Amino acid sequence: MIEPSLALYGDAFDRVDHHLEELLTATGVRYCLLVDRKGFVLSHKEALWAPRPPALDSVATLVASNAAATAALANMLGERTFSEQIHQGEQGTLYVESVGDSALLTLIFDITVPLGRVKVHTKKTIAQVAAILEGLKDVPPVQFSEDFSKGATALLDDLLG
Amino acid sequence: MSTINFAAREINCKIVYYGPGMSGKTTNLKHVFSKVPGHLRGEMVSLATEDERTLFFDFLPLDLGSVQGFKTRFHLYTVPGQVFYNASRKLILRGVDGIVFVADSAPNRLRANAESMRNLRENLAEHGIDVRDVPIVLQVNKRDIEGALPTEMIRAVIDPKRELTLFEATAHNGGGVFETLKSVSRLVLDRLSQNK
Repeated sequence: MIEPSLALYGDAFDRVDHHLEELLTATGVRYCLLVDRKGFVLSHKEALWAPRPPALDSVATLVASNAAATAALANMLGERTFSEQIHQGEQGTLYVESVGDSALLTLIFDITVPLGRVKVHTKKTIAQVAAILEGLKDVPPVQFSEDFSKGATALLDDLLG
Repeated sequence: MSTINFAAREINCKIVYYGPGMSGKTTNLKHVFSKVPGHLRGEMVSLATEDERTLFFDFLPLDLGSVQGFKTRFHLYTVPGQVFYNASRKLILRGVDGIVFVADSAPNRLRANAESMRNLRENLAEHGIDVRDVPIVLQVNKRDIEGALPTEMIRAVIDPKRELTLFEATAHNGGGVFETLKSVSRLVLDRLSQNK
């Protein structure tokens, strides 16, 4: 297929989860998401005090699309990529940084959180998460049985008639 | 390949509606959005121009339910059909697991259909993939318009070897929309279980 698949599980997932939790605590951001380049959420964390998050599917899709568009712009300007994106509003900020070629770390926070602090801690987390994702490349491909196909077909019949 | 998150026990598949401008790609998604129960779908995101032409994409997440303990989800996208938005189209194809090619039955859109299919092949090739490696379903839309071209004539310019499963549709009233989606979804899921 066009993109390498990211199958995040077991110990790798736990370690990514742990790093995101640490990042959330260290920075004081509201939400922290690891999104793959296709726009799917791989892992997400939110502060206990944070309001109900926006639709994460939509956030991930728009973040990944935006990153892809930004990368295309970078190429047009002779750069390999622009590694980070910052969108600042009156009340909040969206900060996105690449985790290697496979994922994007996305943080959403309000104006009380200094951007500099977020950047410093994010860089550290990215190095840790990138190493974990790199290790996933050696994981054997996933196998689903014939029963999976049958079960999925039954659900499709229910949903789409 | 679909994104599989074992820890969250989720399988995510990306399906893209492709085709010439005004062929009814967004209308397909709007119909799905309007008919699928609220708890099985997410928000529909449309990035459109002032005259409602798709600028970047439309997006609709759809929950199929759990299969063998895995929450299975489809993310449906449309691409902008207008010729000059090719950069956007190419970006949206990134990581695609299945494609619905929506053709227009209007007599003056035969060439646009053919050019859009050629454009799809080219854009997939730029991602390093052969068009035969992605499940594709052909939907011939707007069958109810006056002077609609014969389906076989449209197929002859898009799919001369008759390799694609074809559905006739009138997406504005929902005709053929779910049948098409079901067909491409099945192909994607079959591929997952065959581990291709």
